[in-house]
Amino acid sequence: MYRFIILFLAFGVQAHQMSPTYPEWTPSYMEDIYKTRVRIFNKREDVKYFQIGVFDKDFKPLPFVTQYHLRGVLFNSYATFDIYINKDVMKDATYVCSESMLTDVVSSGVVSKICSKFKS
Amino acid sequence: MIKEIALIGIVAITTYGGSKSAFALDVPISAEVTGSCIISVETNGTYGQPNAYKLSTASSDGGQMPVTRVDVTLADAYKVKFTPPDSFSSSPTLNDVVTFTGDTEIQAVSDATGMADYETNKVETGTVDEYELTATGSSWFKHSSTATNGGDRAFPSGNYTAYVTAECIAL
Repeated sequence: MYRFIILFLAFGVQAHQMSPTYPEWTPSYMEDIYKTRVRIFNKREDVKYFQIGVFDKDFKPLPFVTQYHLRGVLFNSYATFDIYINKDVMKDATYVCSESMLTDVVSSGVVSKICSKFKS
Repeated sequence: MIKEIALIGIVAITTYGGSKSAFALDVPISAEVTGSCIISVETNGTYGQPNAYKLSTASSDGGQMPVTRVDVTLADAYKVKFTPPDSFSSSPTLNDVVTFTGDTEIQAVSDATGMADYETNKVETGTVDEYELTATGSSWFKHSSTATNGGDRAFPSGNYTAYVTAECIAL
């Protein structure tokens, strides 16, 4: 009767790290376009992709440009994201977040999301 | 002539080698210390099935609560927010409405003094639990989840997956 149910599958300790806590915008080589950089460390075997987002203080998404909004980060590897934003949007940008993308097939059952903050 | 050239070569090599061994070589050890938050999954969760219409992570129900660890390197720089599942991300076709409940509690802390008030100061909004991380170090959180099928109807056989969301947000 009770023959199903396995929810979260087994792994060792897995971690998702993002730095810095407080990134800063710096002028880019393009006029009115500013740039920042964040770094992610993936020690989650069940995660191959991370989604990057820039948000205002209420966590509403803001337009930005990066090479890949959804980027593959190998297990036990660092990845650096360069993020570009328009000067007009920059004043509202409060958070930059990375979120783990899980697959249903093999998963620890925990979605991890880390947000760094732009301090004005 | 050949002997002279060989001699010059030997002298040159010896001189170069000797002077090289006398060089002082600075080996840099560099580091960039920046604040960061680390979310780790310490224990993966499993639903047990105490009866036909209920799935639970409680050990008394045959389940296992997922445990996450959050490490911060700056005090008063982050809050952490946990959202238990409110739906299955994958399941067989369901035969009724499923009601989810969930909770998060501190399981352990690395700084018994500085983190003593974490559970007391927890902010609960619905099923979402928020903790302000006022001290540096590690804190472990255990997450409970229960899914109950409507009308006490049995869950269809198959594999079920649901996710806890752990967010570490800079303050």
